Amino acid sequence: MDQIPILMVGDCLLVSIQVDMHDQLALALQDSLMTKIVETGARGVMLDISSLQFVDSFIGRLLNNIASMARVLDAATVVVGMQPAVAITLVELGLTLSGIRTALNVDKGLALIRRIIDGEEQAFDRREG
Amino acid sequence: MKTRLLAVAIEHETDIVLVRDRTRSVATLLGFDTQDQTRITTAVSEIVRNAWDYGHGGRIEYWLAGDSPQILEIVVSDRGEGIAEIDAILSGTYRSATGMGLGILGARRLMNSFEIDTAPRRGTTVRMAKPLPRRAAPVSRKDLGNLAQSLAAGRSVDPLSEIRRQNQEMLVHLDELQRHQQELTQVNQELQDTNRGVVALYAELDERADHLRRADELKSRFLSNMSHEFRTPLNSILALSRLLLSRADGALTGEQERQVQYIRKAAENLATLVDDLLDIAKVEAGKTVVAPTEFTATSLFGALRGMLRPLLVGDAVALVVEDAADVPPLFTDEGKVSQILRNFVSNAIKFTERGEVRVWAQLEAETDCVVFAVRDTGIGIAADEIDLIWQEFAQINHPLQKKVKGTGLGLPLSRKLAELLGGKVSVESAPGEGSVFRLTLPRVYRVPGDGAEAESEWIPDPGRVPVLAIEDDPADAFALEHALAGSRYQPLMARSLAQARRALQRVSPVAVVLDIVLVGEEGWRFLLEMKQNPATENIPVIVLSATPEERKARSLGADDYLGKPVEPARLLKALDALTGEHSVTRVLLVDDEEVSRYLVRQLLPRGAFELSEASTGQDGLRRLREKPPDVVLLDINMPGMDGFAFLDRLSQGKDASGVPAVVLTSMRLTAEQRQRLHAAVRIVAKSELSPDTLTAAIKQALSAREAGPS
Repeated sequence: MDQIPILMVGDCLLVSIQVDMHDQLALALQDSLMTKIVETGARGVMLDISSLQFVDSFIGRLLNNIASMARVLDAATVVVGMQPAVAITLVELGLTLSGIRTALNVDKGLALIRRIIDGEEQAFDRREG
Repeated sequence: MKTRLLAVAIEHETDIVLVRDRTRSVATLLGFDTQDQTRITTAVSEIVRNAWDYGHGGRIEYWLAGDSPQILEIVVSDRGEGIAEIDAILSGTYRSATGMGLGILGARRLMNSFEIDTAPRRGTTVRMAKPLPRRAAPVSRKDLGNLAQSLAAGRSVDPLSEIRRQNQEMLVHLDELQRHQQELTQVNQELQDTNRGVVALYAELDERADHLRRADELKSRFLSNMSHEFRTPLNSILALSRLLLSRADGALTGEQERQVQYIRKAAENLATLVDDLLDIAKVEAGKTVVAPTEFTATSLFGALRGMLRPLLVGDAVALVVEDAADVPPLFTDEGKVSQILRNFVSNAIKFTERGEVRVWAQLEAETDCVVFAVRDTGIGIAADEIDLIWQEFAQINHPLQKKVKGTGLGLPLSRKLAELLGGKVSVESAPGEGSVFRLTLPRVYRVPGDGAEAESEWIPDPGRVPVLAIEDDPADAFALEHALAGSRYQPLMARSLAQARRALQRVSPVAVVLDIVLVGEEGWRFLLEMKQNPATENIPVIVLSATPEERKARSLGADDYLGKPVEPARLLKALDALTGEHSVTRVLLVDDEEVSRYLVRQLLPRGAFELSEASTGQDGLRRLREKPPDVVLLDINMPGMDGFAFLDRLSQGKDASGVPAVVLTSMRLTAEQRQRLHAAVRIVAKSELSPDTLTAAIKQALSAREAGPS
């Protein structure tokens, strides 16, 4: 069965969703992503959905879940490259993706993840110091 | 106007992906902008997933309705349980544990119109619609055609669904295969059970047969022993009564004489019975010896007439013995033939009150058998009793039967004797009209089984080529011999494979005819053995069989195959085709010595070789030019042109070069002489001349030439 590749860039995991996922594939992605975070100790996860033509409630929930789970595993999640039509539809559908940080493209996404990690460390340092 | 654009079944989870793809295609083709494409796709995705998750699949249809504006209508129906909390969901107050329920509301928001029809057990049907964009030109019929084409093309390039479809088909087939296999296993099991039963049955039959054989053996042994025991006291009674009647011990009164006469009569009858019994027992025990001699039917009839005339009582019955001068002499056991005929004739006389008993003999040329026949005008035998008369002690029911005495052993004994001589007895009869008893015998008696006499016939016939025929059934063997009679092939008959092997050692036949059925598995092995042995592999083999086994025969190396019965013409044709021109090798013998030429003439198997002779080298060269032979047999020591000179001429010769030579020499060749002889020339010492050495040397010389120019 096909699989969505997960790439390691620095301490970030990069997932580029290029195909229309059926539900099982989406759930499999969620599982392998979590396993990978634990294996590699990655601090950030970037989901590139620029090729995705739509996001329905199931995919929306999936993205939310990935972000929540990654946070528990000490990794920040950023979704990048959402198409405007998809964004509009998401809002019309009533999905808010409240737990997810987004960025316009991969560069900005990486920078955002870096900031989040650093920010958390500073906050941590402040508390400790 | 309402037109259906497309319908897709939702049978599998991955069909959701397919439906999304189709939806986007339809929306794109109908001219919706990207935003609406995404809206429609998302709404459809929500509803179709519901249909899959809660309704276990269903169906989606795309319709184009209305005129101005045209509307895309999408209908998703499932066959599920229906949605119980539909009102709560639509009012937005429903919150499912999984976060579901949002889909329906979301879809309603994304589409312009949204109707949901759900009822328990009837499933759910959702109708969603969105008008086509105003700025686009109305979709015409032609456009619809193009649309359908594009969708169809799109469908065919979707490999995933295609693979899935094939997968499903394969699963169905696999299922079927498995079922078939189960059935087969079951049938197999049944067959095995049946087989076990049959095997058990066979064992039982074998046991029974064994019992019967033993009982039969016991009977024969009893008869042959007891008959001897009976004979001794009987002989005493006969001798004593004769003594009494001779009045050696004083006179007898009239009454006493009558009584002694009765005693003697009874003893004689009993002795006849014992004799017959003894004969039967002997035949059955295989102790009877056949002593074949040559005799004519005429002489046999002469003796018979003298013996049987006393049996005639009065003039009411005449015994007519026909002339048998045109029946060729027989070679078989005269005593036994006479015994059978005596039985026939005395039987005929017994059961004939008036008329005649006629005896004659004739030759059946086709099978080389002599038929003796005895016809009477007696009481005849009813059809249902005909089989009975050949059984021991059986006597038919007739008033006349009670008057005439008989042991009931005559006819059974006759039959056994006839079989012993390789013949048979038969009877035709009608009650009240009389009977004809026939004895059919091979004119020449052949010892069954060992066939030693056949081997003595393996004397090559000059002018014919030998063909080894392996056939164990005498009738078929005879037919084979008959088929080849008069042809250029001389049949050498072998009755067994052992004999055939001996024959192959003694003669080299141009072909072998092998009857496979009668000799069975061994026959196949023999065929294989022949074809694997370098000495015999080149002898063509024709397999005869009554069952269709041509493929097997050919695969084991048979050169031809004929079904039985064999037609003579086909057999000859097959032999001709297989032996062809190779069957006769032309040999030129060049030798000045008369004795050597005579020797070679005698030793060279005729038929396979055609020999011409020359007494000098010059004469040899002349003959060589006139009629080139296949091989030259050459003497070295000759006056005038000697063998070496002849060979030199042969190798330079313009007209007959390439004819291989075999050198025959009576002297030991020196090394120098050997060198002078060409490498390809075979040398045979005259002291070693035999059919085999000659044939082998000629074959070697011929095959060396065929292998390449030397």
